[in-house]
Amino acid sequence: MERTSSSIDSGIGIRILEGDKCVYVYSNDLWNEDKLIRMAKEASASLKEVPDGKTVYLRPCIEYFSQRYEISPTSVSKASRIDKLRHASETAMNYSSLISQTSASTADIEKDVWIANSDGLYVSDHRCRTRIMFESIASSGNSKETGYMGPGSGEGFEFFERYDLDATAIETARVATTMLEAKPCPSGKMPVVISNGFGGVIFHEACGHALEATSVGIKASCFTDMQGKQIASSIVNAYDDAKIAKEWGSYEVDDEGTPSTTNLLIKDGILNSYLIDKIGSRRMGMPSTGCARRESYLYAPTSRMSNTFIAPGSSTPNEIISDTENGLFCAKMGGGSVDTATGEFNFSVSEAYIIRNGKVCEPVKGATLVGKGNEVLLNIDRVGNDLALSQGMCGSESGSIPVDVGQPTIRVSEITVGGQMSE
Amino acid sequence: MDNQIKVFIDQVFLQAKEAGFSEYEIVYQSDISTSVSVREGKVVQYENSDISSISFRGLYGSQMGYSSTEDFSLDQIPFLIEQAKDNCKILELKEKVTVYEGDPEYPEYNGYSEEIADMGYQELADMALKFERKLLDYDPRIIAVDECATCYSCGEFLMMNSKGLSCSSLDNAFASMIYCRVKDGDDVQTYGKSWAFKKRSEFDIDACVKFVGDHALARIGAAPIPSKKTKIVLDKDAARSLLVSFAKSFSAEAMQKGLSRLTGKLGEQIANEKITIIDEGMIGDSYLNIPFDGEGVCSKRTVVVDHGVFVSPLHNRKTALVDGVQSTGNATRSGGSSLGISPMNFYIEKGNTSLNDLLKQLGNGVYITDVAGLHAGINAVSGDFSLMAEGFVVEDGQVGQPINQITIADNFFDILKKIEVLGDDVNYFDLDASHIQSPSLLIPDVAVSGT
Repeated sequence: MERTSSSIDSGIGIRILEGDKCVYVYSNDLWNEDKLIRMAKEASASLKEVPDGKTVYLRPCIEYFSQRYEISPTSVSKASRIDKLRHASETAMNYSSLISQTSASTADIEKDVWIANSDGLYVSDHRCRTRIMFESIASSGNSKETGYMGPGSGEGFEFFERYDLDATAIETARVATTMLEAKPCPSGKMPVVISNGFGGVIFHEACGHALEATSVGIKASCFTDMQGKQIASSIVNAYDDAKIAKEWGSYEVDDEGTPSTTNLLIKDGILNSYLIDKIGSRRMGMPSTGCARRESYLYAPTSRMSNTFIAPGSSTPNEIISDTENGLFCAKMGGGSVDTATGEFNFSVSEAYIIRNGKVCEPVKGATLVGKGNEVLLNIDRVGNDLALSQGMCGSESGSIPVDVGQPTIRVSEITVGGQMSE
Repeated sequence: MDNQIKVFIDQVFLQAKEAGFSEYEIVYQSDISTSVSVREGKVVQYENSDISSISFRGLYGSQMGYSSTEDFSLDQIPFLIEQAKDNCKILELKEKVTVYEGDPEYPEYNGYSEEIADMGYQELADMALKFERKLLDYDPRIIAVDECATCYSCGEFLMMNSKGLSCSSLDNAFASMIYCRVKDGDDVQTYGKSWAFKKRSEFDIDACVKFVGDHALARIGAAPIPSKKTKIVLDKDAARSLLVSFAKSFSAEAMQKGLSRLTGKLGEQIANEKITIIDEGMIGDSYLNIPFDGEGVCSKRTVVVDHGVFVSPLHNRKTALVDGVQSTGNATRSGGSSLGISPMNFYIEKGNTSLNDLLKQLGNGVYITDVAGLHAGINAVSGDFSLMAEGFVVEDGQVGQPINQITIADNFFDILKKIEVLGDDVNYFDLDASHIQSPSLLIPDVAVSGT
């Protein structure tokens, strides 16, 4: 038991909108009313003269509970989390003598949010999330490889209690030891089969970010003015759904007080909807989709993703692989990033295998996939029936927020794979 | 620091003692900032903030517990104390970490520039508007400035403990950043950069416009090249990005945990003899100077790699205790979390070859100007990386066709051994404000993947 910490953060953010212009002031000097009023006045003065004495009547508060947990994490002692973490660490260490190091940790947050605005809106929300992180490191000579999983849930302590952490420990140890034997990945353009779950990071990076009003609203996205047009192959349907019960990326109300929605982004390959917040709504002349999010009062909310995934298709994962003569099978993805103006993305593959004659063969390490979002979506030529979601943190303009990525197994007919080359 | 904070700190110390902590320490941090973003000749966003926090740590029995709060009402103090105490009860660290009594002397340090202390909204807005206008006017192919912002910030840091340590610092700076889109036919490319300044006169708008404009326009027509193993020149910015990603390998914490490939390599040749790596808290008049670390240890100069030999990792007092050495003054402490280690000003010493001569020596190969995806495309433990990159084809020493959508892949520790030539093109006092610096590097046999 090496590290533990506790903190309380609290603060207030005041946002003033005039057309699509925005002023945001924030402070955690909560009890200094004079200072907050002064900051707000200075802020609004930068937009236009504001007459004194305007009164806003707030409607009765609507109470939301984005996460309805059974056991409040703060009601449970830290000590009661240790045994399970320790047991999982031992399980991974016992998996193989090659496992040289493991790390098990858990973190949870309870958050109360109040949102009030000059339209009289007044809402409160209670949010709660729990996450577990497990990493195994396998070593042999100079080589060290890692296996990592970070499951999370929009639940309280009951998620930690219920979760089979030993199975996760074994899975990360398996990946680390497998990758230790892996040869460097070959490079070049090739067909790539991307496994379900965290494989959805491809869609998150390659498409999701470029559908956010943050870039579409100022016509800086490669998907600007593409609504109703084909942006993906016709077998692709994709959602951003903040309403999935107990999911890590879910919420009932967004950080502008708009109720969350199930947003069909792509229907049969056609761009159906963007991710739109209030400012985006003014710029684009379309209603908000209830996706304004932020890490905390340190950031003004903006359009963000929640649980974003490609909907299931009809092929089984086995059919997709056996149908691929030669290529790369990406069993586990790492993270990535995107330039929303050009659509160029990159992401790393943490567990990959060569596909030869329709069969998954030897493991390869160090693979990166690079391409353009608008091209790769059109190149998806198989969509599996095994949809799974996976949890992560997404960093962008309004800070780091919890999101789910997801997809069934898919195949991209051609994509650039970067590796250290075998020969 | 106002009176409310002083009363709060006094109360924390009093209650910590009553709760049975044998040693205790607080860190008070306060940051104010003003930032302005403009687009199409109008201010689109203005932010003003005033944030402060107090972190507490205390020794209870043999363990050091941590907690923090942003709420300075006196009724929050029991939370700080109780949580830290709870944390002590479950920790199982072998080494007994103590708070530091302080050094006899600290270097002269002035991170606060009076000259810019009165920068306000209007001036920042005018500067940003002018910056945007000038970049748009620079060339008709610059079709949009998607982000253009200026920011002034001021931070106060105070550390006090039960052994009488009291050190503080006050810093300010203003910064500008710009990100533009260029278009030629159907080809769209982007480029952006940020700078930090301590004097108004340092912000040379015309020079910044020329820099960003030229770099963005040079990207036009970029395309992938066929995959191959080739010799490359890694530009100082790209080399810096790589060093940032692997700096952690030089921390004693990573080494002690077996999370660094340098574990067990102290005293060995880990790089070729051209490579010397230094960490230094105070370099000359640099704006990046740091007078003391997160435990209050006075800044030092540490030779990390001396002509290829790994001489010393970076330590805080905890890892130094484990290794039986002195701290190198590299402790970091953020919020309610425990101590970490990070470089102060960490750099590869420059060589004496100009960038132009590096490219001439490259002859035929690839000049890599930028790498992306650093948070995902690297294995910090093994040193392997595979990163999206941009750059130019080099033929007969001449920079030619721009390249994008390629990756470069290799191993950081192997690169340290095979670097052939180091550039002279790094200025440790650069205004693009990075605590980690590298000159441009000529490296043979790097895997470039494209078509």
